[in-house]
Amino acid sequence: MELNVNGKVVKVDVSDDTPLLWVLRDELKYTGTKFGCGMALCGACTIHVDGEAVRSCSYPVSAAVGKKVLTIEGLTATDKITQAVQKAWVNHHVPQCGYCQTGQVMSAVALLQKLKKPTDSEIDSAMSGNICRCGTYQRIRTAIHQAAKDLA
Amino acid sequence: MISKSNKTDLSRRLFLQTSGLAAGGLIIGFYLPSVGQKALAQEGAPAAKPIEAPNAFVQISPDNQITIVINKLEMGQGVNTSMAQLIAEELGCDWKQIRSVSAPVNPVYNHTVFAGMQMTGGSSALSSSWLQHRRIGAALREMLKSAAAAKWQVPVQELKVENSFVIHPKKGKLSFGELAEAANRLPLPQDPPLKKEKDFKIIGQSVHRVDAAGKVNGEAVFGLDVQIPNMQYAMILRPPSPGMKIKSLDPKTAKSSPGVTDVIRFGDKVAVLAKNTHAARVGRDALKVEWDEKGKTAFSDESLMQDFRKQAAGKGPAAANRGNVDQLLKESTNNLKAEYEFPFLAHAPMEPMNCTIHFDGKTAEIWSGHQMPTSDRGAAAAILGLAPEKVTVNTVYAGGSFGRRANKISDYTSEACELAKVAKRPLKVVWSREDDMQGGFYRPMTFHSVNIGLDKSKKFLCWDHQIVGQSVIGGSMFEQFMVKDGLESTITEGVSDTAYDFANFRCHQVRAQTPITTLWWRSVGHTHTAYVMETMLDELAEATNQDPLKLRRSLLQKSPRHIEVLDLLAKQTGWAKKKVPQGRAWGLAIHESFGTVVGQIAEVSLSGGTPKVHKVWCAVHCGQVVNPEGAKTQVEGAIAYGLSAALHGEIKIENGIITTSNFHNYPVMRLPEMPEVSVSFVKTTQPPTGLGEPGLPPIAPAVANAIYRLTHQRLRKLPFSRELKA
Ligand code: FES
Ligand code: FES
Repeated sequence: MELNVNGKVVKVDVSDDTPLLWVLRDELKYTGTKFGCGMALCGACTIHVDGEAVRSCSYPVSAAVGKKVLTIEGLTATDKITQAVQKAWVNHHVPQCGYCQTGQVMSAVALLQKLKKPTDSEIDSAMSGNICRCGTYQRIRTAIHQAAKDLA
Repeated sequence: MISKSNKTDLSRRLFLQTSGLAAGGLIIGFYLPSVGQKALAQEGAPAAKPIEAPNAFVQISPDNQITIVINKLEMGQGVNTSMAQLIAEELGCDWKQIRSVSAPVNPVYNHTVFAGMQMTGGSSALSSSWLQHRRIGAALREMLKSAAAAKWQVPVQELKVENSFVIHPKKGKLSFGELAEAANRLPLPQDPPLKKEKDFKIIGQSVHRVDAAGKVNGEAVFGLDVQIPNMQYAMILRPPSPGMKIKSLDPKTAKSSPGVTDVIRFGDKVAVLAKNTHAARVGRDALKVEWDEKGKTAFSDESLMQDFRKQAAGKGPAAANRGNVDQLLKESTNNLKAEYEFPFLAHAPMEPMNCTIHFDGKTAEIWSGHQMPTSDRGAAAAILGLAPEKVTVNTVYAGGSFGRRANKISDYTSEACELAKVAKRPLKVVWSREDDMQGGFYRPMTFHSVNIGLDKSKKFLCWDHQIVGQSVIGGSMFEQFMVKDGLESTITEGVSDTAYDFANFRCHQVRAQTPITTLWWRSVGHTHTAYVMETMLDELAEATNQDPLKLRRSLLQKSPRHIEVLDLLAKQTGWAKKKVPQGRAWGLAIHESFGTVVGQIAEVSLSGGTPKVHKVWCAVHCGQVVNPEGAKTQVEGAIAYGLSAALHGEIKIENGIITTSNFHNYPVMRLPEMPEVSVSFVKTTQPPTGLGEPGLPPIAPAVANAIYRLTHQRLRKLPFSRELKA
């Protein structure tokens, strides 16, 4: 199977129904995308496929063929919104254990790509699929507003 | 701002992070000869232990990179930053030059209080390292100064240290990097002076976390991310109920599943090895196993709770007993009687358990988020038949723990070793979320009954308290020093040692057994004891017609830190005026745990049967605050974690099998539910006390007390959803 991940064309030898998450992590070693639940419940595995935030644990690899897959590694290198979000995250002391945070960043970036100045309730709905067991939610909210401001 | 990740970077980062050794150009060697050990036994300062091998904690390279070796697990609490702040402050270095790496296993890194092992837990990182780390930094600073004095031929008193330079008014300045080699040859100073609080430049500053950037760009390496050459992924099928045994196993379908390389039975577990995690999981699902039903007991969470209720009828030993409770109960004409039920809870850290291991028959290397690396190494060595020195334990970032990784029997490390012993190849054992939630260790189920005696005029007479709870340390090495006269502190802490000054007070404990494995869970016994104390206190205030804050204040006169917290909280919220928005109510709770006193006021409304916590004010007395923003994040996180449990948390068991499996039936708090949290610290120069856990105990009772004001319903069974119906 041929995939386009972070702008590179790569070949993988896995069964069609393998969730994209495990192809990225175990086969391609993009370990910035995390595993938390495997049931599209926690958002730790959030990536972008053709610009949409998706849960890679529940996204079969075969469905990604012919599409553009972006992980945190790819976005970090090139994307201004991602960099602004990351900066706001660091400045507002968001990450604790950090395990959920790449997924949080991916969801926040997808939100800011669509809405330049999201309201609290827009943040609520865009971010409610991402669990953080360390309870960094209040700071995530502040950091999204901050990133939106910095990008304006 | 952040560099791109690729494979080479990853392995290099991994090496740096796990080896505890910086790459190239080390000037200060790894272990200093033990010159200091005896010379430094400080007389007249009993709290200060001799400084041992400071160079095991600090490395300075010629290009002025300062590496701090952290002997605690970074699991979110910020130790890689805050512990480094302690050393950096006294060393006098430029914070920007600091980086942190995790320590290997070595006695020099042992906990200063829990002797004989390296461990992270009990909210003790800063409190137990406060003096040790500062003295290490100060000793090295003095050595660097002496080296400069010798080089310049000037008296050491003429020197000062600033931003990683030793400075002389006439001679100029020398960098730490330039001085390190010479400093390393000098003896350890006998009694390095410590800075005064007013001179602190790094302690007390909200410096950014050293691990933040890597955690938002994907570079941070957690246990699950560790890659070693030729590694295979393993998923393990475990007995569905404690004690069940395999009757028959047919591995054929699993073996022929795509990507599967091997199926290995070890004991009553079966591992499926594959080229990736998904293939291993599909292979595991294809295993045909028949379980012997003989070993199975048919219990449920409800049957266990019924049993606890029965056990509460007979009194266990007293963990506290003062005054004459029996007599006063006879005399009392009014009583406040209540019974409380608390469920089993899973830790459910965001990163499911995992362990990476390479065992070649002669040596072994292990990677995981180790909270107790000494005992994890010991367990590994025993299983693999190796001397402990032949086992290298690499501590990598943990995606949360909340107690789960401080495992008394090193469960996931031991299991990986048992498998590796048979498999003899590099592998990573991955737990699914279901494995984690169903095969784990739980906050024990607990039952409380309370009887408060009042006289005719409703004056308080006495407090009688009975707790039935399961041991969290039974059968472990901790039992010998945490159980005294049959009493286990984790069951009654927070009640038996309450700060409330009751002259007539009693607390009995029944140490119950169940087939479920238990463990400390963020704030341990305080998770339930604070709830009962603080909701009953509110009930007492109501029954005796007193303001809940004033009543607490009057009972806490002998505890000045509690008073300071209550006063700060009252000021923060304007308690006296109580401007509570329409449709909402306030609830108050205060509790001490891990040496820290935390008071909270929660502002709550209800829609249907669902509580909404809008705002939480929180006042904290935790001694000096090393990193204020970092400290706040710990309190916010503890509130979220505690609220999550109070609103939703419950492990269900049917027919001996845990049926709760993933976040759909173990819901946890999500962003829209998060209240606005506002934290204030009492200003003090007292040394730091714990902070990872103490923010948790007051939140559930504060919210419950607010809910009572809205509904006149006392919630006695947790989570709230059991009793709060729409
Ligand atoms: S791992 Fe995909 S949503 Fe949880
Ligand atoms: S930072 Fe730990 S789970 Fe979010």
